[in-house]
Amino acid sequence: MTGRIELPQGTLDLLILRTLLPGPQHGWAISERVQQVSSEVLSIQQGSLYPALHRLERRGWIKAEWGTSDNNRRAKYYELTRTGRKQLDAETEAWRKLAVAVEQVLEGA
Amino acid sequence: MLDDLRYRTRALIHHKQIEDELDEELRFHFDRQVEKLMRSGMSEQEAKRQARLSFGGHEQVKEDCRDARGTGLIELTIDDTKYALRQLVANPTFAIVMIATLALSIGANSAIFSVINGVLLKRLPYDQPERLVRVFLTSQEFPKFPLNPWDFLDFRARNHSFESMAAFTRGDVQLSGDGEPVRLNGFGITSGYFRVLGLHPQLGREFDFQAEVPGNGLQVVLSDRLWRTRFGADPNIIGRKITLNMQPFTVIGVMPPGTEHPGNVYHSVAYGESVDVWWPFSFGGNSNQRGSHYIEGIARLKAGVSVQQAHDEMNAIMAQIGREHSADGTGWRVLLIPLYSEVVGNTRRMLLVLLGAVGIVLLIACANAANLLLARASARQREIAVRLALGAPRLRVIRQLITESLIISLTGGVLGLALAFGGVRGLVSLLPADFPRAHDIHVSWPVLGFTLLISVLTGILFGLAPALQASHTDPKTGLQQGSRSSTATRPQNRLRNALVVAEVSLACVLLIGAGLMLRTFLNLLHLNPGFSEDRVLTASLSLPHQRYKTGEQTAQFYSRLSSTLSQLPGVVSAGAGSDLPWTGYDENNGGWTIEGKKPDPHNETHARYHMATPGYFSAMGIPLLEGRFFTEADKKGAPWVLIINWAMAQKYWPGEDVIGRRISFEDNPKKDEDWMTVVGVVGDVKDQPNSPAAEPAFWWSEYQASESDMSIAIRTQSDPRQVADGLRNAVHQLDPELAVADIKLMNQVADASISTPRFTFVLVGLFAALAVVLAGIGAYGVIAYTVAQRSTEFGLRVALGAQRGDLLRMVLVHSAKLAVPGTIIGVALALSLGRVMQTLIYGVSTADPLIYGCVILMVPAVALLASYVPARRAARADPMQTLRAE
Repeated sequence: MTGRIELPQGTLDLLILRTLLPGPQHGWAISERVQQVSSEVLSIQQGSLYPALHRLERRGWIKAEWGTSDNNRRAKYYELTRTGRKQLDAETEAWRKLAVAVEQVLEGA
Repeated sequence: MLDDLRYRTRALIHHKQIEDELDEELRFHFDRQVEKLMRSGMSEQEAKRQARLSFGGHEQVKEDCRDARGTGLIELTIDDTKYALRQLVANPTFAIVMIATLALSIGANSAIFSVINGVLLKRLPYDQPERLVRVFLTSQEFPKFPLNPWDFLDFRARNHSFESMAAFTRGDVQLSGDGEPVRLNGFGITSGYFRVLGLHPQLGREFDFQAEVPGNGLQVVLSDRLWRTRFGADPNIIGRKITLNMQPFTVIGVMPPGTEHPGNVYHSVAYGESVDVWWPFSFGGNSNQRGSHYIEGIARLKAGVSVQQAHDEMNAIMAQIGREHSADGTGWRVLLIPLYSEVVGNTRRMLLVLLGAVGIVLLIACANAANLLLARASARQREIAVRLALGAPRLRVIRQLITESLIISLTGGVLGLALAFGGVRGLVSLLPADFPRAHDIHVSWPVLGFTLLISVLTGILFGLAPALQASHTDPKTGLQQGSRSSTATRPQNRLRNALVVAEVSLACVLLIGAGLMLRTFLNLLHLNPGFSEDRVLTASLSLPHQRYKTGEQTAQFYSRLSSTLSQLPGVVSAGAGSDLPWTGYDENNGGWTIEGKKPDPHNETHARYHMATPGYFSAMGIPLLEGRFFTEADKKGAPWVLIINWAMAQKYWPGEDVIGRRISFEDNPKKDEDWMTVVGVVGDVKDQPNSPAAEPAFWWSEYQASESDMSIAIRTQSDPRQVADGLRNAVHQLDPELAVADIKLMNQVADASISTPRFTFVLVGLFAALAVVLAGIGAYGVIAYTVAQRSTEFGLRVALGAQRGDLLRMVLVHSAKLAVPGTIIGVALALSLGRVMQTLIYGVSTADPLIYGCVILMVPAVALLASYVPARRAARADPMQTLRAE
């Protein structure tokens, strides 16, 4: 569990949207994927994952559909919508700018 | 935005499906996590434990998801409501008892509030009514007195405080011409009267200033009611001549429906739409005659002028008038009373007392409901413990329980409102005769709002304590205890006991209040009225001055009428008086001289005055104490005679023989005919049944003083109603154009004058009875519950040799421990609240030992009675059954 860091506010939505970019995923896969890709640094607790999914769905950035999982069980798959894709672009852009700016400040100080 | 709305709506509609899906989704996640952990080499048990740990509260996650969907609050409420309804249906007795008691008490509150809303809260039906004031005079002797017409004209001409000012005086008029003549309720008004009130005729116009001049005043404005009932709402009525008091009056206007006259204190005209006609008041006579006071003032303050400012200015004017007309004006000051206070008068205190009483009933009902909920909450401890263990936040449990109590209270409120509709109709029919604004009392929007508000407050009030208590349940002990018969914790028991103590004390307060009202009412009923009201028929007549121009004509009319009436079959005696007992008096008369006594400059002589025909006193049953009654010989030309009451004899000739004493109304009596001789002393009749004592009063002989408006009194051997036709015929034989008005039994007249205490007594008594029953139910509930809780203990005690009598005593002692402190607190509370009742009671002290004694005995007795059934049950405890159950 060491090495993990807390997610800054608002980052969770970005991570979820980005994880869904390649294609539809169910909740568990999203959290697994984030953990894997971030080399176990980032981990999304269920307590925040599912409310976030419901929130994104309400905003119309993702939509949900029931499908069958790799182990042959019914699972709810989330998929980016067109507005979700736009939102992802915008948020990625904003995040990059922020990261560069923060980096510059850190370098310059 | 639209998406959002669509999403939320769908979430609400497909609520159940979405919840199920969420469950499935979370379960899927959980299972995958367990699988993953097991793959890493964990045992299944360990994997599940780890997964559960990382998952956090399942309930909490679901809660957060609902919030994220943005429908959390609504969904929760729907959930809670469904759940609460299931709980109530599962336990119908509980639900019915609670809802019924709440419906009764909320209904009673709404009904009383309807009265308060109509009478105290609703604005008077005039434009900017807060600027309206009534104008009176006041002096040391007379706290509230009418104005002199010439003073009024000076007030109006000289003041700068009022936008407009007007005066009026009441008078009966006869409408004849077509059909049976009727007597109408009329007002002579000065110009500006309607302007002051901000009212305009719906047809025609109001009087112009010219009409204030004598002889120019044969004009009349009709009320909407009279226009419709008597003239068929004729649109061409304006300009038509109608016969009032046998003179042709021209109709110049019709007022809109609901035009209300703003009260009249001297003749106690019922406030409201009681006026039929208005005619222009004529200023006659000499502007230097400032002694007679018989008109009432009303004025509209200029914007921004306070009552106090106007008051100061008016008194400066009054002082000026006093200097200009030194004969009068000394000692008079102007009194301004805001119209609202004048209209609402004394009913305000009575209504607030009633609201307090009915509020107490509601509080007791709340305490009962809280008690029932507490009992149930402890029975539901296990369920609550499970929910807390599953991660439900405490707030969530409280919400759930409050939702339940709100459903109960709102259902009670809806039923209560239905009761209030009926209750208000009943209340209005019970209202005292002179109750102000009775036609304004309805179940209206403000009443609906009030009912909703108290329903919600009630639900929170009785739901909160049990909910807080229950949510404190420790999941662990809750589960352990819940596994067997549930047991209340100590603080729960303490709270329940405290609630019953509170109920008992509140019921005591109400009972004491009801006792005071009962004694007041009985005192008034059994009071020696000074007359005898049984088998007396009364009516009123007024002889128009146009036909009965001279005193002789009036005297002759009443003399002939009296003799005809006396000869009717079954009539014991008949007569006429200027007024009937307890209906008020005309005016005070002061400043007369007593022969042979030095006038006291600081204490002006005064007495009520009346007129009577010879038969009046025996018809009314007023006893003759000394001397004689009037005779037919006491007429114009004969020496002036007076009959005085006992109070007058005692005040002005204490301990002396008064027959033959003389008084004079002349400033400087010289001649023999300036003096009036006392020929008789009659028993005292108070102005009102609840007046502290009778005021000095005297009667002139009607045949000498010749008052044209008289009340007829006929005493009969049997049912006095049988002479009503005889009375009408007798009057119409003498004058077919006269209206015989207000035919009533003297019983009814006397009854009306005690209708206010009766009304208060009936209501407070009703509320007190309700309170006692509710408190009894409360005591029963708590004792029965305790007995059930302690059944094991009782069984053991019996097994160990306790006598049944011991158990009975134990339970009754517990009940006494609630009743005795409750009664003590109640008595203390009632003693400190006694002041509030002061003006409502008569002939009884607010600390009446008899009432307190009865309540102190009665309340604990009721509490013991209520606990007797559970006590018997405890005493029947079966040791074998208890031991087996253990």
